[in-house]
Amino acid sequence: MADAASTPGASGSGTRSGSKQSTNPADNYYLARRRTLQVVVSSLLTEAGFESAEKASVETLTEMLQSYISEIGRSAKSYCEHTARTQPTLSDIVVTLVEMGFNVDTLPAYAKRSQRMVITAPPVTNQPVTPKALTAGQNRPHPPHIPSHFPEFPDPHTYIKTPTYREPVSDYQVLREKAASQRRDVERALTRFMAKTGETQSLFKDDVSTFPLIAARPFTIPYLTALLPSELEMQQMEETDSSEQDEQPDTENLALHMSTDESGAEKENTSVLQQNPSLAGTRNGEDTIIDNPYLRPVKKPKIRRKKSLS
Amino acid sequence: AAPSGPGPASQKGEQGFQSPRPYKLAYQLVRIHSISFHRRSAAGFVELTILPTVADLSRIKLNSQQCGIHGAAFTYSDPTLEVCSSEAKHRALGHFSHAYATALHAVDSDAGNGELCIKVPPELRKCVNAFPVLKIHIDFSLDRPQGGLHFVVPGGEGSLAERAAHVFSCGYQNSTRSWFPCVDSYSELCTWKLEFTVDAAMVAVSNGDLVDTVYTQGKRKKTFHYELSIPTAASNISLAIGPFEVLVDPYMPEVTHFCLPQLLPLLKHTTSYLHKIFEFYEEILTCRYPYSCFKTVFIDEAYVEVAAYASMSIFSTNLLHGATIIDETPLTRRCLAQSLAQQFFGCFLSRMSWCDEWVLKGISSYIYGLWLKKTFGVNEYHHWIKEELDEIVAYELKSGGVLLHPIFGGGNEKDPQVSHLHFSIRHPHMLSWEYYTMFQCKAHLVMRLIEQRISTKCMLQVCNKLLNLATAASSQKFQSNMWSQMLLSTSGFLKSISDVSGKDIQPLMKQWVDQSGVVKFYGRFAFNTKRNVLELELKQDCTSLETQKYLGPLKVTVQELDGSFNHTLQIKEDSLKHNIPCHSKSRRNKKKKIPLMNGEEVDMDLSAMDPDSPLLWIRIDPDMLLLRKVEFEQADFMWQYQLCYECNVVAQQEAILALEKFPTPASRLALTTILEQEQCFYRIANSMVSTWTGPPAMKSQFTRMFCCKTCPNMVKTNNFMNFQAYFLQKTMPVAMALLRDAHNLCPKEVLTFILGLIKYNDNRKNKFSDNYYRAEMIDALANCVTPAISVNNEVRTLENLNSDVRLIVEEITRFLNLEKLLPSYRHTITVSCLRAVRVLQKNGHVPSDPSLFKAYAEYGHFVDVRVAALEAVVDYTKVDRSYQELQWLLNMIQNDPVPYVRHKILNMLTKHPPFTKNMESPLCNEALLDQLWKLMNSGTSHDWRLRCGAMDLYFTLFGLNRPSCLPLPEFRLVLNLKEEKAVLNPTIIPAPATGNREGTSNPSSHAPLAGFQNPLPSSQEEEMEMDMDTVHHSQAFSSQHLSMLERPPTLELSQCYLASARSALLPSCVGGYEGAPTSKAPWGLDLTHKGAAQVQSPPEMHIYPFAVALLCSPLSRKRPPPNNEHHHHHKHKKHKHKHKHKQKHKHDSREKDREPFSFSSPALGRSVCSPSLSD
Repeated sequence: MADAASTPGASGSGTRSGSKQSTNPADNYYLARRRTLQVVVSSLLTEAGFESAEKASVETLTEMLQSYISEIGRSAKSYCEHTARTQPTLSDIVVTLVEMGFNVDTLPAYAKRSQRMVITAPPVTNQPVTPKALTAGQNRPHPPHIPSHFPEFPDPHTYIKTPTYREPVSDYQVLREKAASQRRDVERALTRFMAKTGETQSLFKDDVSTFPLIAARPFTIPYLTALLPSELEMQQMEETDSSEQDEQPDTENLALHMSTDESGAEKENTSVLQQNPSLAGTRNGEDTIIDNPYLRPVKKPKIRRKKSLS
Repeated sequence: AAPSGPGPASQKGEQGFQSPRPYKLAYQLVRIHSISFHRRSAAGFVELTILPTVADLSRIKLNSQQCGIHGAAFTYSDPTLEVCSSEAKHRALGHFSHAYATALHAVDSDAGNGELCIKVPPELRKCVNAFPVLKIHIDFSLDRPQGGLHFVVPGGEGSLAERAAHVFSCGYQNSTRSWFPCVDSYSELCTWKLEFTVDAAMVAVSNGDLVDTVYTQGKRKKTFHYELSIPTAASNISLAIGPFEVLVDPYMPEVTHFCLPQLLPLLKHTTSYLHKIFEFYEEILTCRYPYSCFKTVFIDEAYVEVAAYASMSIFSTNLLHGATIIDETPLTRRCLAQSLAQQFFGCFLSRMSWCDEWVLKGISSYIYGLWLKKTFGVNEYHHWIKEELDEIVAYELKSGGVLLHPIFGGGNEKDPQVSHLHFSIRHPHMLSWEYYTMFQCKAHLVMRLIEQRISTKCMLQVCNKLLNLATAASSQKFQSNMWSQMLLSTSGFLKSISDVSGKDIQPLMKQWVDQSGVVKFYGRFAFNTKRNVLELELKQDCTSLETQKYLGPLKVTVQELDGSFNHTLQIKEDSLKHNIPCHSKSRRNKKKKIPLMNGEEVDMDLSAMDPDSPLLWIRIDPDMLLLRKVEFEQADFMWQYQLCYECNVVAQQEAILALEKFPTPASRLALTTILEQEQCFYRIANSMVSTWTGPPAMKSQFTRMFCCKTCPNMVKTNNFMNFQAYFLQKTMPVAMALLRDAHNLCPKEVLTFILGLIKYNDNRKNKFSDNYYRAEMIDALANCVTPAISVNNEVRTLENLNSDVRLIVEEITRFLNLEKLLPSYRHTITVSCLRAVRVLQKNGHVPSDPSLFKAYAEYGHFVDVRVAALEAVVDYTKVDRSYQELQWLLNMIQNDPVPYVRHKILNMLTKHPPFTKNMESPLCNEALLDQLWKLMNSGTSHDWRLRCGAMDLYFTLFGLNRPSCLPLPEFRLVLNLKEEKAVLNPTIIPAPATGNREGTSNPSSHAPLAGFQNPLPSSQEEEMEMDMDTVHHSQAFSSQHLSMLERPPTLELSQCYLASARSALLPSCVGGYEGAPTSKAPWGLDLTHKGAAQVQSPPEMHIYPFAVALLCSPLSRKRPPPNNEHHHHHKHKKHKHKHKHKQKHKHDSREKDREPFSFSSPALGRSVCSPSLSD
């Protein structure tokens, strides 16, 4: 009983869907139980000495009683599950009542009070059959390594994955359109952001915000940005043509050679010399046949020679 | 001017070069031992080893500018520093130009002069006989040089090397003197040793072989030792120091490339093509590259894009490009090829004198042309020739003739053909930049004419011969006097031609080299059905400025039904009509293929043509064998046939231009057909679309070619593998945007279409960068803009922005902003955006405001961007007449760190002046005049190109004569009331000899010598005169008087005459009224005294009385009688020369090169070569 009362939500959907037809067996079941509760409330009221009661107050009391019982059920269920059982025992109920601040000891006395009214048992109505939600195929049997006392597999539809896609847009025009507007949006958002956060110029003196131009800022070395491809372009290049890739690793190679060759050729110069002998060294490392004066190592000064020169 | 007398008897006689100096240079050592980037200074010394050729060598003149020289026993005077004294009140350009020419001559190394004069100590002079070799050691230092060496020191963090600080030599013509003392002439060769001590992280690149790199003590620096064993002129010496990345050419180990840090990948790609150019030149010239090594250096803030020096070329770093850039590739390759051609002709072979410059420029451009033909195809070559031809013709017709060989013609500065110029063509340092460009262009075209005359094979043989002679000479020891073989002169070149080919090219030389001007033809034709003869009428226009009459053969190609026929007409004095017999009968429905010029046979739809005539089209001078402009009339269908079936690009281009006049459906059909032909040369297509006149048929055309099949309003994703299509795709929208509807507005659909193109532009799958394409799209947008309809000149605000324009503005804003985040190659998009913004401003959509451009014009932006922004500011200055902006520009001209930008501003201001000499403008005031004058007079003394630019600008703004905004000195003219004449104040009449020069020397001038009686010619003059004459007369009267006068036909000349007379008067005037500054008066007197004759270095007079005496004595002896008599004299000479030529006289070339006023050698006592003996 507690069980059924505690899950009005679960059956609620069923109730609601069948609310138009009051002859629904499940509804009858609940109505009958509620009627019983009303009788209980009424008898208790009579017992307490009320001559009559308004319907609304009876209803409220019924509701309170139902809630109370439901809470006992729910709580008892929790306690029983907490101790890894599925069936509540008396002790569960007791603990629940204690928890709810009910003095259990008074209960037997109360039950045996003299003026209590005995209500006839409610008419036995059939437990409503929960309609099979959706039988999508056979439930899977347990695999051998799972003990049989374990709950059964749920319905297959709850776990079987059948991936579905929206039909991919294959219309070229739409795609292009989309790509274009997407890019445009990104660009606009980005530039607007940059314009908002930095200095701007404007074509119109009276309105600085409609067409903000990011302020021109001079570079220290202007040709670098102008000549070197931007990172985006580099990336694109790599995507489109893998043969173009040799540009970048080259500088790394250079650096590599730099360290190795330098140590080999002239150890004492490493601190002073940064660029040129190293470059020369690189080339020598790659191709020893090439003899170019710019690749030759720098000579050490000769004292005499210096004097004669200056 | 190269005065050359007959050589000493010891010489072999042939084309011997006679040095104007009393000594010969054998060897020079240049050592720069310290260079400071922080202070932008350098210090070092030079050691010249010279051999005196006279017994008592007392003075040695060297060239040196802006070098601080330490030591004794020398005097320094550089009259070019301040051409006219600052107090001088006269501001006439004519006067300045004359004074400048004089000053230049006074330091002209070709004339044996120089700024630096070293006195040989008497005790040494005595021993000269015993020790025939002198060594001169000069310590010098440079501090913040204004020219010659250019320091680039970017700010920022890090060491100098990390900041890519570098320095390089630069200059216009021979300007080596501005970074070390030398004999700065192309004709004084010697061997070199060059040593540069630089920071250890830097590389010094210079001429010749790098023999050693040695550390200094402490290893903080290293010294680069270069040796150049091939005799080279000082003007071909160069230097570049910087933290360069070194790349040895993978194909040719002796070639090394240098670039600034981080650009190595670009350098690799850019130079990967160079070896092919080498191969090509060596093959056609059958001669090895003369130097043992070659270096290319790519530097920032380049003075010119390409500068060739001995065994090394300096390029602008902006020529570097990666593999993804299409448009820059051919341009850069051209630059490489040009510089390499100049290595052979220009660096290795050097010019003997300035008047031989054209031979070197001509040959180097010619072999470059051959490379172009081989690399880019015949069509590209023809197109280039045609382009150059059009340019030179346009320039000569507009600005005056270009004379290739200045001395030949008049032999005198007062050559009639150049009197209208504001500069003297005798001095390379005085030439307007534009003139010099045209000069090179013409030199090339004339060289091509010579080639056509003597055949390509002979031409190459000539080149080969010249090179071989020079190579042989270069390996000789100094004493053998063979080095002069490495100097190329006009006569030497002509001699080689006649030796190799045996052909006489004198008429050709006479027509194109010795005189300036082009030929202009007007052609018409009629077909005579009865006689089956084509009657061709050819008129020559000889009346307008700078045209000349052409007599001789002229080729005409007639395409008939039966084929193409060449006819050679003889143009004679009075022959107007030429009858050309036709080969084919006119038969209409003859179904036969029509043979074309190139042997192909094609089917044509002949329905359009005239049934009576078999003529398809006619072309005059199809091979461009004359420097000419042809205006030919033929029917539209003939042009259409020419366009569709003629295989020559030039012909097609002509046809397209002509078809502009015939906007008929048939023309459009012809254009469409040709567009669709795959093999059609892309340039044709380019020029074609730009002349398109029809309704937006082009749109459908574009759609068909570049848009998707399924969705025609969308452009395909970019794929620029087919360059031809790429160029077409780029150009078509731009041309399309020029379409206008009946209301003169751009059709809405075109704008939408272009916006669509921009929107759907997708470059993700493309191998190439699309920055040029996007830039062109912005240009197309700008082309769409039409003037705004403005009511009552309301202020432009955002609210009243036209919705279409709003879209355009939005796109431009987006592009410009995006460029900040993802910059494009060479910032092409920013450049286009700036232009577009200016267009919007000009058309009144956006408030006109230069501040945006000014921000982009600041130093620190990429040079292309700066130039584009400056262009907009210049345009703003012109349109809005803003004094403030003009001042801003002038300030930039004076102070900008980049010489190229300064030059460019001047250039642009000259092209788009805020006002001109004939215009009243509020900008034209005395302060501005003073400012410009100062700029020209002394502000730009170390950059010749800049000074010439300033002169050009001054000329455009104020003209040759006295600027009208100056208050006039009083009592200059007197109006004689009774005779109604204006006369110069008689009290100052005796002075005007200088002024006479231009007026009287012009034989075509009708200005009477009694020009003082000439009525005042122009209104401008009138006003001036009236102002001062109010002293004597009522203004009313004089104006009435003036209005009665008719303008004389020789308006310009007389004006010029008057003005120059005035300027000549000024010295004495000034003297009279301001108490005669002591040094000025003799100067002026001196000028007037010498009058028409060439004036020799007067400024030196005050300093070296002795030298002047020397200079003057031969002058007075040899000075020819002025003016008319002088011409006579010269003719006489020529006659003699001819005579000698027949006798195969050995002194042939010397004779030709000699000037009537050669003075130096005899003056210094070389009796051997005195003219009387040789004659």
